Amino acid sequence: MDAAPHRIEIAPNCSLSVKGALLFFGGTCFGSLGVAGTMASLGLWPVLPFAGLEMVLLAWALKVSLARRRNSQTITICDRDILVESRTGSRCVQVVFPRHWAQVKLRHPASRLSPSRLVIESHGRQCEVGDFLTEEERRGLAARLSRMIGRINESPTLA
Amino acid sequence: MAEHAHAPAAVVHEHEEHDHKPHGWKRWVYATNHKDIGTMYLVFSGLMFLIGGSFAMVIRAELFKPGMQLVDPQLFNSMTTMHALFMIFGAVMPAWTGLANWLIPMQIGAPDMALPRLNNMSFWILPFAFTLLFCTLFVPGGAPAGGWTMYAPLFVQTGDAFPMTIFAIHMMGASSILGAINVIVTIMNMRAKGMGLLRMPLFVWTWLITAFLLIAAMPVLAGAVTMLLTDHYFGTTFFAATGGGDPIMFQHIFWFFGHPEVYILILPAFGVVSEIIPTFSRKPLFGYETMVYATASIGFLSFIVWAHHMFVTGIPLAGQLFFMLSTMLIAVPTGVKVFNWTATMYKGSLSFEPPMLFALGFLFMFTIGGFSGLMLALVPADYEYHGTYFVVAHFHYVLVPGAVFAIMGAVYYWLPKWCGNMYDMRLAKWHFWLSAIFVNVLFFPQHFLGLAGMPRRIPDYPVQFTDWNMVSSLGGFAFGLSQFLFPYIIWKCIRSGERATGRVWESAHGLEWELPSPAPYHSWGEPPSEALIARGAAH
Repeated sequence: MDAAPHRIEIAPNCSLSVKGALLFFGGTCFGSLGVAGTMASLGLWPVLPFAGLEMVLLAWALKVSLARRRNSQTITICDRDILVESRTGSRCVQVVFPRHWAQVKLRHPASRLSPSRLVIESHGRQCEVGDFLTEEERRGLAARLSRMIGRINESPTLA
Repeated sequence: MAEHAHAPAAVVHEHEEHDHKPHGWKRWVYATNHKDIGTMYLVFSGLMFLIGGSFAMVIRAELFKPGMQLVDPQLFNSMTTMHALFMIFGAVMPAWTGLANWLIPMQIGAPDMALPRLNNMSFWILPFAFTLLFCTLFVPGGAPAGGWTMYAPLFVQTGDAFPMTIFAIHMMGASSILGAINVIVTIMNMRAKGMGLLRMPLFVWTWLITAFLLIAAMPVLAGAVTMLLTDHYFGTTFFAATGGGDPIMFQHIFWFFGHPEVYILILPAFGVVSEIIPTFSRKPLFGYETMVYATASIGFLSFIVWAHHMFVTGIPLAGQLFFMLSTMLIAVPTGVKVFNWTATMYKGSLSFEPPMLFALGFLFMFTIGGFSGLMLALVPADYEYHGTYFVVAHFHYVLVPGAVFAIMGAVYYWLPKWCGNMYDMRLAKWHFWLSAIFVNVLFFPQHFLGLAGMPRRIPDYPVQFTDWNMVSSLGGFAFGLSQFLFPYIIWKCIRSGERATGRVWESAHGLEWELPSPAPYHSWGEPPSEALIARGAAH
């Protein structure tokens, strides 16, 4: 009898909702551009482009940080197969690997500025998982996946 | 992450396994780890303290006795200007950003700052900015000598240093804004589950409000100095009366930035003191929520008090009344804070380790600075005090035993967490007592000098001011010398010392104390549990 499939769901932690971010950004714009607008109305217009630039930067920073919440991955490991579902917004990509022939690789970066990459691969195909995790989290996930998937030509018993 | 494990397993590694901690110079140049960047900010800040402090020593040496001793008036004024710029933008602000980098991710259960590469950039702008500013000492016309307030039209007459100074200030501002945006996004979006806003440590709260002040105030400074530049080089007359401009308007916009800037320097200090006092009183902080609201009130009020710096420019009576009353209003939330810190200590089981000594020093001496600030808020009194050494004494009481003592207290509080060793308590206490005594010898007599009418920013003075100037200078030299203990204690602690436990101080609360000492290079890889957060947030 097949063991129950194991599901690992990974998603970045985001404490700010999109609505919260919009409200927050709107409020900050109101304050900062309000000050700069008042200055501009007094003839001190050079304050305005700096405030505008700053708000653009804040918007970018929030967007980059919030983009995390649109990413999630579900790794389902059953006796025969490994199913990796990667979701980015409404887009969902599914990749299936045969568990017996799959392996987990943690690729260390060539440059120290870059993060490591965790991939599941078999038969020349590969799928990166946990690219939004921190190094520590990624190593933890790699260790867990390796225990469940094993090396090539191995199928460890699923507890 | 829903689940993961750390048990060793047969992961296929494509390169040699390493500890993911880069080594050598690249670790620092390419740093994206919040702890590395925090360390760089703190080291940079220490260096700026040294340079800014040496400028102060030149000032105090010149003022040791009447007459011209060491430097000409131009260089003297350059020293006062450079001292202020280095201390404000180079020492105190980067020290707070360094502490924010080290502590905020650990305190909110985040693995790092939200935007690590932006974090790297915001730090590395600073050395270039201050090298440029320092180089102005060697250009024709000398370093800027118009004061850190850069009042037009005086400042526009600066020699070759003028565009260099403006560019350096732009870079400092850009660095501050990048740092502030990173702090805001980190606090808003990277808090661990269960770390609600009203569970955040007060250091995080005060930094969040500080970051908002930076965002609102910095574009005003950038705009102001850009207008100086265009007035000088492009024929505009924003601040030149000859072309229909208004020099007083520069003062308005400078102080619209400048007064919130004062709170940018001091609000994180409130956060630090709010962390230290409960730990060494062995009691929860009295009135956590009121502290948050008081900080927010101070932040808001800081934007509607700027003209108290300009009472003598002849602003209308209604304006004088408004700015006098709004300034005095700041005493209310500040008083709430002082009351809450005192109430936290009341019936507490107090002990006086170095962080607590610095926090108490802050409490007493910042309050002295606050009271002299109240005196300056009174329009009729300000007419007498304005431009005198009384003002110098006031803001130095707020910034040295205020902000600087809080920074030192913070370093003594969290140093064992950072490097894993306890430091030499006896030496650290010596550091406190020498600093506390000599900072008063240095600055308290300046109240008397100001009340007796000695103007600020003068290299020579009438003989009647000699005695207190000598006392003040001696205090300054002793204070400066005693600061060499600080890097020695830190260096000694990094190299050796009794191993620190995870909690370090028995009554410390907060997520950072749940981590081992020294804090791991990557902390909170696994987010802290809600139970842990609840335990840490025992306000």
